[in-house]
Amino acid sequence: MEKMLVCIQCPQGCKLTVSHSGEGVSVTGNKCPRGASYAQQELINPCRTLTTTVRTAFVDFPLLPVRTLGEIPLKSVFGAMGEISRLVVKKRLRPGDVVLEKLYNTDVALIATDDMTMGEKYAKGSEDYGRDGILS
Amino acid sequence: MTEKLNLVARELAKLGLTAVYPREWRRSVVLEGEVDTWQQYIAAGYAAAGKGYKGVVNAIKVRGLEQSREYLPPAQGGALEGKDYDVVIIGGGVIGCAVARDLTRWDLRVALLEKEDDVAKQTSSRNNGMIHPGIAASSGSKKLAYNIRGNRMYTQAAEELGFELVRCGSVVMLGKSMYQLALPYVRYKALQKGVDGLIPLSRRQVARREPNATSLQRGGIFLPSTGVVAPYKVTVAYAENAVENGAAVHLNTAALGFAMEQGRIIGVRTNQGLIRAGAVVNAAGVWADKIAAYADDHFFTIHGRKGTIAIIDKALGATQKSVLALPRLGVKSYTKGGGLNPTVEGNLLMGPTAIEVSQREDWSTTPEEMEFLFSRHLSLNRQLRPRDTITYFAGVRACTFEEDFIIEPSEHVPNLIHAVGIQSPGLASAPAIAQDVAAMAVEILKTTREVKPNPTFNPERRLTPQLAKLSLEERGEAIKKNPAYGQIVCRCEAISAGEIIDAIHSPVPATSLDAVKRRARAGMGRCQGGFCTPAILEILARETGKAASEINKGRPGSQLLAGETKTGGGTRT
Amino acid sequence: MSGAKWDVAVIGAGPAGLAAAIAANKAGARVCLVERESRPGGILKQCIHDGFGLVRFGQKLSGPEYAWRDIQLAKERGIKLFTDTFLLELEAREEGFVLTLQNSEQAVFQIVTRALVAATGCRERSARQVFIHGQRPAGVYTAGTVQRLINIGGHLPGKNCVILGSGDIGLIMARRLTLEGAKVQGVYEIKAEPSGLTRNIVQCLEDYNIPLHLGATVTKVHGSERVEAVTISQVDENLRALPGTEEYVPCDTLVLSVGLIPENDMLLPLGVQIDPRTGGPAVDQLMATGQAGLYSCGNALHVNDLVDYVSESGEIAGSSAARFSLGKPDRPCHLPVIPQGDIQYVVPQKLDIAAGGQAVLYFRSARTIANASLEISAGGQVLLQKKYKAVRPPEMERIVLDLALLPPGTEELSLNLRG
Ligand SMILES: Cc1cc2nc3c(=O)[nH]c(=O)nc-3n(C[C@H](O)[C@H](O)[C@H](O)COP(=O)(O)OP(=O)(O)OC[C@H]3O[C@@H](n4cnc5c(N)ncnc54)[C@H](O)[C@@H]3O)c2cc1C
Ligand SMILES: Cc1cc2nc3c(=O)[nH]c(=O)nc-3n(C[C@H](O)[C@H](O)[C@H](O)COP(=O)(O)OP(=O)(O)OC[C@H]3O[C@@H](n4cnc5c(N)ncnc54)[C@H](O)[C@@H]3O)c2cc1C
Repeated sequence: MEKMLVCIQCPQGCKLTVSHSGEGVSVTGNKCPRGASYAQQELINPCRTLTTTVRTAFVDFPLLPVRTLGEIPLKSVFGAMGEISRLVVKKRLRPGDVVLEKLYNTDVALIATDDMTMGEKYAKGSEDYGRDGILS
Repeated sequence: MTEKLNLVARELAKLGLTAVYPREWRRSVVLEGEVDTWQQYIAAGYAAAGKGYKGVVNAIKVRGLEQSREYLPPAQGGALEGKDYDVVIIGGGVIGCAVARDLTRWDLRVALLEKEDDVAKQTSSRNNGMIHPGIAASSGSKKLAYNIRGNRMYTQAAEELGFELVRCGSVVMLGKSMYQLALPYVRYKALQKGVDGLIPLSRRQVARREPNATSLQRGGIFLPSTGVVAPYKVTVAYAENAVENGAAVHLNTAALGFAMEQGRIIGVRTNQGLIRAGAVVNAAGVWADKIAAYADDHFFTIHGRKGTIAIIDKALGATQKSVLALPRLGVKSYTKGGGLNPTVEGNLLMGPTAIEVSQREDWSTTPEEMEFLFSRHLSLNRQLRPRDTITYFAGVRACTFEEDFIIEPSEHVPNLIHAVGIQSPGLASAPAIAQDVAAMAVEILKTTREVKPNPTFNPERRLTPQLAKLSLEERGEAIKKNPAYGQIVCRCEAISAGEIIDAIHSPVPATSLDAVKRRARAGMGRCQGGFCTPAILEILARETGKAASEINKGRPGSQLLAGETKTGGGTRT
Repeated sequence: MSGAKWDVAVIGAGPAGLAAAIAANKAGARVCLVERESRPGGILKQCIHDGFGLVRFGQKLSGPEYAWRDIQLAKERGIKLFTDTFLLELEAREEGFVLTLQNSEQAVFQIVTRALVAATGCRERSARQVFIHGQRPAGVYTAGTVQRLINIGGHLPGKNCVILGSGDIGLIMARRLTLEGAKVQGVYEIKAEPSGLTRNIVQCLEDYNIPLHLGATVTKVHGSERVEAVTISQVDENLRALPGTEEYVPCDTLVLSVGLIPENDMLLPLGVQIDPRTGGPAVDQLMATGQAGLYSCGNALHVNDLVDYVSESGEIAGSSAARFSLGKPDRPCHLPVIPQGDIQYVVPQKLDIAAGGQAVLYFRSARTIANASLEISAGGQVLLQKKYKAVRPPEMERIVLDLALLPPGTEELSLNLRG
């Protein structure tokens, strides 16, 4: 059995051909190793990084952009969105800070991707790029 | 059959309209029967015009054609039930608003009813904004008299009301052979009509004045009295000054009929209850015949004539100083041919077109009309390309078949005044029309009571800062007083949060995105609101105390948002 | 009013401006950044999806994360940042550029700078510019506006959407709308091939079963208050709507992803030459415009598909500006770069051969070509050849040229792309 895929690991978008013969899976068309592992994963259980936002308790920063630290199964994406919609961030987080340890029955964490200490209204004309210190 | 009616019948027969029946009613002619097409309906109306009747009522049915839809505000209630005014004006276009403002010179209770969610929503915001010099109106017409007078009155109106008027002048160019033949005639006509200050120009003089003018020109004339205004700003300015002087503006309020007693109007029925009225002004634009019919005074029919206009990027605004037009022979004069005109904001407008339409509130544009505009007018200025168009829009002129304004007290209802059939140059004529209509209303009221001047009338509108008009020093001062002027929201037009907030709290408050646009110009630039819509939305929500999802683009029902995100169910932790 | 003096001022604190400011600072210049929004980061603030930074950081970051790295760097280096600050006037004088600025706190003030970097990004093409007709109901948005409404405001613009144009932002918003609970009826593209990256077709449309219709466009918008439907028509090879193919598609929102336009309004009064092919100023490999001391980079220069190259152009512009400002400007000696064959555009448009070293050339093909070959030649001599498996207009190509290869007396350089 042969299957055509487009690799989505980077903007190059390599056109992959995956051949499924007996036990082995062989991938051609990839310009780097990420293409091969992508194709194999894609056959078993397609996984994606989920990026979205989480509500916060801060008026100057009402929504915090977040992403999964690693990929989650594509089929879990809507369930994860449901769980995320119930979250409210109550601390000022910075990129990389964990919002949720385990998102929607996966082992994948949800992390902040923006800096809430840079509220919308931070000091103008000063060298200060944001209020430091995490408020609660 | 009278002689006049015979004439009408013969013309109809010539057109082959055998199923159209003319009859006389009062001093007007009424057409009844059936035709197959809208074009035939229009042709029949014109066949009956100019035969000596007061008006043409075209009641012909067009087979298979849907009646013109009319927008009515969805809300029903009794908020205005029992209100009592000396004068009720129906229609918040430039005419209605100017009349309201002129009536506040008197000690009267004045109300203006507008069915839309804001003033200046129909024809008064959908036009070229030109204060015509008067040369195009025909001799002896009301159009001509009001245009010439209105044009002269604009200078004072602009000063008092604080709107921008630019007397840019117009260059009417003559093509090829026309020049030699037409010039003496044009001069003679202009003189006779009272057009101010005509200057003949040779081909080279045109080129010197307007270096980018078409190479087809063979000279022309310069009319220095031509001006341009932002028509919605003029309308809003009149409405605001009226409110400042005590008038009431009721938006989302439609006149639906009259309560009459012994042939007089005693009240106006609206979707918000019955409003008592001493006198009524009909300034209802494309629906003025419907209002007249409510009072059994339906002696004219309005038909719509749509005009499409393209807006050219500001970057090209400097390529032309005056209005440019090149009239062509064999074109019906009522279209005036259109052309290219500057705006007070520094863009150029191209158009308008002129097409008879059966739907009076259809402001949609079509690719065909845009192509017509490009082919017809683009070359008037050699710098312009189709891609310089940033947006386009259409308006519908309210035309009678006699093609002249009707500005007079009703012949049958003693306390009703018509200011109808106000097609182009209605904007240019507005100050003069308002002056006369206000005087007519006062005359009517004087028959039953004393009418005194309004001792506190202030002709000057209170102005809030318009940053674009300030020097850098004044701008700095304004920002120091109110930091909101320092924060730019609309980047294309450089409009600040402070100006938007002012518009939201103005005498005729802006409560929708489009209303903010009309007053503060935010969102009207090249990106057409792409960047600032979300920000204006937040400001509107905050200032009016509403949820963002309740904010409309314009009319009720035009919500900008479907709701909020993260409604995936459950409670938030 | 004449105010503070700077060696380099950068307008726009998006990724291009941040990179320029950092590079200029590294080169020893006193730099300030002027940004009209309240936070630095530019459009990346709203691009919360991932895929940024593969070239530069070897990681798939989201837009805000990518911007944050530069923001942190700028902060550590003490680069002065004016936010919520709007450029009112720009004037070129003997002593340098005079910028008149305004913000809520300092009201109106001026700064003077020797060198200026314009990193003002781009704006989106609007509905009227693609000539969509009909009434003007609420519910017609550009993809960027939708992105901002959802990702920054937390608002859902519509529940039932049609997307016109298959640009990347449109594709990304198709997925984003779907994730937030809206239905996306389909993406309609007038051309025969999508204009977005293939990976976005896969992960934004195919993953969510959103159909992509090629050779079709929206010809009319229905609804007078809120969008009620659109008319879709198939188009012929000249992209004209084919009568009889109209399809009525009910929806409450029309999202436009029909192209970006470099934003260079501030340069117009200076009389800077704009390349009609890119919409940005014509520059040399140092990102110098024709106006001495004025540099351009990022999406203001030409619309990039990868932010990594935006940063690269910013770095070049920033260090060139610093060199100019610190009094070591080499006298430029320019030769034109001529696009030939199937090249849509090339940046830089000219080379300063006096500068020496290497020049980074960015180009796009005018059409999709399999097995394309690029030839760079000068004075009848081929300097460089490169084969491509495929080139596509949405995917920008980058190539580095060693100026030492140029034969003496060269008068122009040509880039020729062939199938
Ligand atoms: C394309 C175009 C270009 C033009 N260019 C120029 C120009 O350059 N210069 C110039 O002088 N003139 C121009 N005109 C003409 C000018 O726009 C009109 O003459 C003028 O705006 C008419 O104003 P108005 O107040 O009578 O009508 P409108 O502005 O239409 O106002 C009438 C108002 O009445 C309201 N209304 C109707 N029925 C009811 C009801 N039952 N209850 C409550 N409210 C009701 C309507 O909603 C409307 O707001 C142009 C017209 C068009 C179409
Ligand atoms: C809506 C939209 C979505 C995009 N989505 C993606 C995407 O998903 N993936 C991708 O790779 N690329 C995307 N791009 C392309 C993206 O713009 C570039 O990758 C990159 O962000 C460009 O960086 P820049 O610094 O040139 O411009 P920008 O990020 O646009 O930054 C320009 C900055 O300059 C400021 N500015 C402009 N004019 C002035 C002035 N006169 N005074 C002061 N400040 C000013 C602006 O406020 C802005 O902060 C998108 C572009 C747009 C418009």
